[in-house]
Amino acid sequence: MKKLLLLSLSTLFFISCSSDDDGQPEYVPAAFENGILITNEGPFSGGSGSVTYVSNDYTTVAQNIYKTVNGKSLGNIVQSMGFQGDNAYIVVNNSNKIMIANRYTFESVDSITSGVNNPRYFVESDGNKGYVTNWGDPNDNTDDFVAVLDLRNNTVSTTIPVAFGPEKMVPYNNKVYVAHQGAYGQNNLISVISGSGLEGTITVGDVPNSMVVSGNSLFVLCGGNPNYTGNETAGSLVKIDLSTGQISDTYNFGTTEHPTNLTMDGTNLFYALDGKVFKLNSTSVTLPGSDIIDGSFYALRAKDGLLYATDAKDFASKGSLKIFDLSTNVEIQDFQTGIIPGGIYFND
Amino acid sequence: MKRLNIHIVFGFLLCSVSANAQLDSIQQLPEVMLTDAKLIHYSKGFKLEKLNDSIVERNATSLTETLRYNSSIYFKENGFGMVSSPSFRGTNAQQTAVIWNGININSVFTGQTDFNTISPLSYNEIAIRSGGGGVQYGSGAVGGSIHLNNTYSFHKTDTTEMGLRYGSFTTIAANASTTQASKNNYLNVGVDFISSENDYDFVGKNKKNTHGEFLRFNAKLNQARKLKDGALTWNSEYTYNDRNFSGSLNTMGKDGYKDVAARNLLQLKQEFGAFSTKASFAHLFEQYRYYPNSEKPLFDEGRANTVIGALQSEVFLRKKLRLNAKIEYTLIDAEGDNVGENTRETLAAVVLLNHKIGKDFSYGLNFRKEFLNDFDNPLLFSADAKWKVSEKYSLRINGSKNYRIPTFNDLFWYAGGNTYLQPETSYQVEMGQEFSIGKLKADVAVFYISSEDLIKWIPTTGSVWKPINISETQNYGIEITTSYFVKLGKLHSLDFNANYSYTKAEDLEKEKQLIYVPFHKASGAAQYNFKNFSAYFQGLFNGETYTTTDNSESLDGFNIYNLGVSYVLPKSQNIIIGGRVKNVFNTYYENVAFRPMPSRNFQIFLNFNI
Repeated sequence: MKKLLLLSLSTLFFISCSSDDDGQPEYVPAAFENGILITNEGPFSGGSGSVTYVSNDYTTVAQNIYKTVNGKSLGNIVQSMGFQGDNAYIVVNNSNKIMIANRYTFESVDSITSGVNNPRYFVESDGNKGYVTNWGDPNDNTDDFVAVLDLRNNTVSTTIPVAFGPEKMVPYNNKVYVAHQGAYGQNNLISVISGSGLEGTITVGDVPNSMVVSGNSLFVLCGGNPNYTGNETAGSLVKIDLSTGQISDTYNFGTTEHPTNLTMDGTNLFYALDGKVFKLNSTSVTLPGSDIIDGSFYALRAKDGLLYATDAKDFASKGSLKIFDLSTNVEIQDFQTGIIPGGIYFND
Repeated sequence: MKRLNIHIVFGFLLCSVSANAQLDSIQQLPEVMLTDAKLIHYSKGFKLEKLNDSIVERNATSLTETLRYNSSIYFKENGFGMVSSPSFRGTNAQQTAVIWNGININSVFTGQTDFNTISPLSYNEIAIRSGGGGVQYGSGAVGGSIHLNNTYSFHKTDTTEMGLRYGSFTTIAANASTTQASKNNYLNVGVDFISSENDYDFVGKNKKNTHGEFLRFNAKLNQARKLKDGALTWNSEYTYNDRNFSGSLNTMGKDGYKDVAARNLLQLKQEFGAFSTKASFAHLFEQYRYYPNSEKPLFDEGRANTVIGALQSEVFLRKKLRLNAKIEYTLIDAEGDNVGENTRETLAAVVLLNHKIGKDFSYGLNFRKEFLNDFDNPLLFSADAKWKVSEKYSLRINGSKNYRIPTFNDLFWYAGGNTYLQPETSYQVEMGQEFSIGKLKADVAVFYISSEDLIKWIPTTGSVWKPINISETQNYGIEITTSYFVKLGKLHSLDFNANYSYTKAEDLEKEKQLIYVPFHKASGAAQYNFKNFSAYFQGLFNGETYTTTDNSESLDGFNIYNLGVSYVLPKSQNIIIGGRVKNVFNTYYENVAFRPMPSRNFQIFLNFNI
């Protein structure tokens, strides 16, 4: 006890106001190319999200690269990121802004702070246009919109009102397909946007949460309504023929199965369900496919025979990025990330 | 005795190093009666501290501020005046019970009290009871309990007090209360009000606190009537809070919160020889409205009514043995947008015993068993003993088993609520030493708390968060409290008070310190009095706290100092004027990550006593 007292005494005497943040020495490589970028939402309640870099040869890992390079934080809840040319568009949800940085140096280029409201995702289409999904007030199902950005001057040129809960987008053939996952509720639509106008909507299964384009087809993974809604519906995988805009196939899961995180590598589709990752052949779909990896992941991306998966752990500590070899389904790498790693991007 | 010396030296160092907070020795007039007498009679082997009026007045903005500077409790405050939750001995906010005149007033929904919604000026006495109080006070009295008591007396009294305060950030506060007492009747009525724009600077950040306006109104009515061999008492209070929630360093605030609480307590006490019987009836009402956007009329609401009926009988034999048996029935009916409508019934049987052996030793044994509600409620017990070794030195020891029952949010929240939850349980022991050497008083306590089945919300598949009885923690630490008074000649005097605590609170699975539990906290004050003039200097040291469960990120420790002066007008002893400077050195600090606390600020006040 004596030791304890002494210890505390000395602490009292010597503690002064020390500096902020992680306290880890951060390595600053000249460039963040040829690697994987992870967006980390950041801590709840007012904190700042961050971006983690892992080089493709796994020798370099850098945390919080935007702040390291620019000396300022990204903002509260870094939801996602998209790219156009050399620029990364980082969508900061709760701070209502889009931070733009050079994707290879991460030097700040610009930011968009007006014309977005509760922004979620960014995609680029035809070089000069960007699209950002916005929830607006999540308690108001009538104010949701897609902001159309002019990427030459990084301003919002127009907004397109859409059904509630627009989330992820896929650009294809000068059109943008918007999945309406439903914000805090549930929705079941895909909006089709062409230029600055809404061309139409396609009704899919409940809670469309992720999409991939394969050839001329759009696969939409729908989670189904969760049990707590009192109107639980089965998850489904919906295949849309993009030449006609019509649904060509719908594959249903069991009523209590709610899959998420569809990703694709070659002809293989991967998704997450009930603590497992499943693999499907996109050319002959039979559900649920084969389960290949155990684990609950927050984000999944497959590429070139590897599966990248993030673990958000308890959402109140540093997460991790795990990399699996899809030929053996064995974990080959595990890197620490920031808090709540929610997006995986390839920076080649 | 060697150890004692170290403690004393340590206490002095603290005074001089950080010149620290004020904890008053027990100061109570004998004829004043408590509506919750068991706090005194059955807590002999527990650490019980009382804060007197002059101490409360220094930090009267909220109960958060009062306790932050005058106890070892750490507060997580989401920006000044915003939601504030305590950590008492390293436990969480739901494991700290707030007891109003003997009744647990933690929210039915959240299981905790927001300490910024409580006005510290509405009570005659604020007491801090450290350690397990589950037997006496029910769910949530794990780390300790805070007691807000309205006392009464039947001595002729006719006083009216008024106070006005004006401060930085357009902070306006006023309080008025009057007490009229006669041989058979006691009446106390008061109101108290504070409002603030709360637009302080974030020191060195070139930013201001925005959207953090708050307003609090409190009204109270306390009545007592003497009966033949007994008394009838009535306590009533109403509180209204209207706040906008401020943003953080990274966000703009846009939500708002309004809450109402009304509390009524009727007690009838009768003496029959050695027996004393008390029948109590209480009604508590709480209502909150959360506005996701304070500019819009949309809100989420919750309302709860709690009715408590209790009958207790106490026998006091040969001035040695005090035995109390109580039956208490509680009915909660709550309705909320996120929890639906639910009720809970509880029947509790409590037996309390205190036995004095000889002049200097007493021990207590207490048991509580609950019935009716859906959980497997454990039998709670506590045992305590106090031994007055000499005039200068006393020893106390206590051990208890305590619990926290799941809240209505834990059970019924849409989505994720889990009706299969069981109560959290914890065991604890404490040993304390009390020193009284002339004008120097010191208290050294060591404690150990082991908790299991702690309810934690965790993400499940389908991205729904669900509470489960999962985590285990172990807390231990030491608390040191000292006070010293010295008279310098006839006109001058000095008052010192300080406390220090070391708290280790560990998640046993992760083997990490719990978030928002500082290892070190110290506070204290030195006051100088000269004739009608007095001045104090108050300090707070708060050590580093972790903000992530893997202890990868933390908040810096900080030192904050306040200064105050007051002067009693010589021609009229009933008027006191004064001023305070808070955060004298304009220090930047946060006690919740990314939520800066106020810059240097000023306050002037005027008090009348008629």
